[in-house]
Amino acid sequence: MDAHYAIETEGLEKIYRSRFRGRQIRAVSDLTLRVPEGVKFGLLGANGAGKTTFVKMLLSAVHPTAGRAALFGRDAGEPESRRPVGYLPENHRFPTYFTGAGMLNFYGALSGMAAVERGKRIPELLAVVGLSDWGDVRIKKYSKGMLQRLGLAQALLHRPRLLVLDEPTDGVDPLGRRQIRDTLNSLLDTGVTIFINSHLLSEVEVFCDRVAIIHKGRLALEGRIRDLVAGRGYKLVAVQATDEVRRAVSVVTASATLESDRLETQMSDRGELNRVIDILRQSGALIESVTATVSTLEDVFIRTTQGETAIAPPQATEVMA
Amino acid sequence: MSDLVTLPRFGVTAALVADTFQEAMARWLFWALFGLSTLLILFFLFILKIDVVDGAISLLGLQSTSHSFSDLQRIVHLAYSRVALFLYVWGTFLAVFASAGLMPSVLEPGRVGLLLSKPITRPVLLMGRFLGNLLIVSANVCYLILSIWIIIGIKTGMWDPAFLLSIPFTVFVFAVLLCVVVFIGVVFESAPVAVMVAAALMLVSGILAQKGNVVKLLSSEWSRDLWTWLYWASPKVWDLGRAMMNLISDRSAEWWAPAWTSAAFGIVVLAAAIQIFRKRDY
Repeated sequence: MDAHYAIETEGLEKIYRSRFRGRQIRAVSDLTLRVPEGVKFGLLGANGAGKTTFVKMLLSAVHPTAGRAALFGRDAGEPESRRPVGYLPENHRFPTYFTGAGMLNFYGALSGMAAVERGKRIPELLAVVGLSDWGDVRIKKYSKGMLQRLGLAQALLHRPRLLVLDEPTDGVDPLGRRQIRDTLNSLLDTGVTIFINSHLLSEVEVFCDRVAIIHKGRLALEGRIRDLVAGRGYKLVAVQATDEVRRAVSVVTASATLESDRLETQMSDRGELNRVIDILRQSGALIESVTATVSTLEDVFIRTTQGETAIAPPQATEVMA
Repeated sequence: MSDLVTLPRFGVTAALVADTFQEAMARWLFWALFGLSTLLILFFLFILKIDVVDGAISLLGLQSTSHSFSDLQRIVHLAYSRVALFLYVWGTFLAVFASAGLMPSVLEPGRVGLLLSKPITRPVLLMGRFLGNLLIVSANVCYLILSIWIIIGIKTGMWDPAFLLSIPFTVFVFAVLLCVVVFIGVVFESAPVAVMVAAALMLVSGILAQKGNVVKLLSSEWSRDLWTWLYWASPKVWDLGRAMMNLISDRSAEWWAPAWTSAAFGIVVLAAAIQIFRKRDY
């Protein structure tokens, strides 16, 4: 395993076995991924795709059934591998008997920080996440957004080299999201690797450099966002089309839907567009509109998870920072 | 940053112990335990003057002779031993009841995941919780027994240090039962089940301790062996209580065998809990 990668997994697999019925659920399958140090990486997937299981395997809360995982070249099963990691879990439940500062003090101690260091860092971090006035207030009085920001402060307290955020803005109002985003933006020049596990595609698209999409436990796609969304195309709408026309168009492009006599189709390039226009003219269908389209991360995600594009095989994809 | 790497392990354990203390303080059950102890202390403060000392003295009616003094001393030792037994049973059961929730709470989803993401091993996490729990109960047991010892001492003028043996006996038995509570907490993540099992063990120890009489009643060899095996394999809450009482009243008792076999039981159960905790997915 290479120490230049913040995260490196090889053939990672997790099968959950039911204790009594012996039923098996394959949550993650043969997942190989490399995240170089210093990148902002987004992990996408539908609910139940295996994202959280993958993150938990990285942090040793879940034991892999097969394969290997490493953090900065060190086996993820070793406690020391987690020392440079800051983690904000999804649906966290911070003990409500703590005050904000008390909670940071406790998790800071568990991260291996000395008391003097904690004493300096806690007020700093509370200020960074906008909770300076709330440090001595018990957590049970915090709103969801405040808890999320406190959780982020907890993850940042020991100056981690890798920040793993599981749904960091889930349930947070727009103002809170902005504060979290601002905090993360302030880290951009520090060289911290940020690994965000989220289903909020727009946020990942704005913030991350690279993404991986997990579908049914497998790595379906991985790459730079700007490459993935670069694919321009054309959308064509025609009327007076028949099912025979749709079938002919489907030979050129898989994306062709017919409702009543209205045909909608998406082409990836000009060549496809012209071939489809030829078919429509020959069949007597009437072209209503042709629109140039730009792909978004959401389009990429939906195409990938619905299997409408070729899916990258689950193999190591080496990426550059 | 260099001190982050070289921080001694006890710093982490101390944080876990302190966290357990803090959580216990936030639970009404621990305040109830402390309150009941205080209530008991106040109760002894008022009851003792009427019944134990004055009662014993007036019963004997011969305070000036050495013989009567010896009798009085014996009665006070006996009273001490009965009080110690009461505190032993009371203190142990209430402590188990108050502690049972501390293990499942730390295993709640959303809490355990964050703890496991820290650079600590799972056994350290579990042992930190165990130690914190043990220390807080020890503090309460010391408060209760020391207070009552002082009250009895002031009232009778007889300061019997043997009474204080009830502190290590109570804490020891609680520690053994806490191993069971931790085990049940890890396996079932349920406080009520942990209380039930610990209470059942306390009760069963009293039944198994009658092996001298029961073995004579059992007809088959294997049933006698099974009873004897169960007796030695289980924690001896009853026998240790009796041994403690005898040590206080008669200054001698067979306590070593029940103590080490109970300790072995606790160690095995705690080791099993640690092993299961290490293998679990959260």
